[in-house]
Amino acid sequence: MTTERRAGPDARTLDRTLREYARGIIGGLLFSLPLLYTMEVWWAGFIARPSVLLVYLLAGFLLLFGYNRFAGLHEDASWGEVAFEAVEEMGLGLLVSAGILWLIGQIDGGMPLSEVFGKIVVEGVPAAIGVSVGAAQLGGNGKGGQGMKGRDDDESRGLPGQVVLGICGAVLFASNVAPTEEIVQIAAKSTLWRMLGLALLSFALGGIILFYSDFTGSKPLAPKNGLGTVLSLSVINYAVALAASAFILWFFGRFEGVSLAAGLAQTVTLGVASSLGASAGRLLLLS
Amino acid sequence: MSAEKSRIAKHPLEWAVFAVSLVVVIATVGYLAYEAIAGDDSPAALSVELGRPEPRGGAWAVPVTVHNRGDETAEGVKVEVTLESPGAAPETADFDIAFVPRQSKREGWVTFRSDPSRGRLTGRAVGYEKP
Repeated sequence: MTTERRAGPDARTLDRTLREYARGIIGGLLFSLPLLYTMEVWWAGFIARPSVLLVYLLAGFLLLFGYNRFAGLHEDASWGEVAFEAVEEMGLGLLVSAGILWLIGQIDGGMPLSEVFGKIVVEGVPAAIGVSVGAAQLGGNGKGGQGMKGRDDDESRGLPGQVVLGICGAVLFASNVAPTEEIVQIAAKSTLWRMLGLALLSFALGGIILFYSDFTGSKPLAPKNGLGTVLSLSVINYAVALAASAFILWFFGRFEGVSLAAGLAQTVTLGVASSLGASAGRLLLLS
Repeated sequence: MSAEKSRIAKHPLEWAVFAVSLVVVIATVGYLAYEAIAGDDSPAALSVELGRPEPRGGAWAVPVTVHNRGDETAEGVKVEVTLESPGAAPETADFDIAFVPRQSKREGWVTFRSDPSRGRLTGRAVGYEKP
């Protein structure tokens, strides 16, 4: 079916291609503008070491691959096609980030290359994920981009797809608050009981969003889904959220010289945002 | 779908965007990889360079350039400049810089009441934080 759509008369006109790029760039801005306007993120651009930036960029690529594989492209897309789109999205993301950073005066010719590249990369990765979500999801009439017909059933995607998209959602949502000092402060001042409360809240929110609240794209609690299934999927959801939180915090250098307990407290604090992203965010990315 | 078919379906514009993107991505990854391999891990190394004093607003303003020649960013840099004039108590002026990134410089000014050209100016970064 998707083959026909693409090879058919509406396959690839200039107009359609341009519209898709426009949507992509708008998506990139939509998701990355809060970060582009945040000081801590600029700082991360020159504080982070090149090797850390490289790991971050590669992680971004993995997310783009995952998103394109499980949501952005049609089901039978080849890996070559997935890679083609990922490179395009990363390139556009980096260019969007460079353009905005220049417009807001955060990069200019007088700066050393390492600072310019650092800032562009730090801001460019969330922009690239935004580009890929924008191109695929922001289109009108069903499926603007590349026809995801018959793929909007969350369940049909299988667990790996749900996990990958969960990570995308978690990163997109959590990265807006992750770089702020507030995470460190909340974690430092909070008591153990409050941390436990935050963890339970994140866990419960994930479960409620995925299985109870009739959220777009969620599945109601069918008899075949026993309590065991619901619990285990909620645990996976929260695990994904915590892992994404930890990676983002590590990238922003929040774990340096910090005790395990303090690092964990930060991860749990950010985990509320990640858990929302991994559940509600993921479903919205597919709606 | 075979790779061949999808290639036919692509608009030339997509290939152009892909080519530009590929160049951008390769340049970025290449630069970061080069820096990661070739760059040292030396700690922040700050030096203070003083410019020519000029009278400004009833005081003498001295331009200050802070260089970081190390490979680590320095945060919360406190810069202090001392003026020692013959027959007078030393006068100090200072200011803070939020960040001096690795291999970068930041600029600022200090002001003195007396004319610095009659004395000796020394400046240094008295303290900074590892971010």
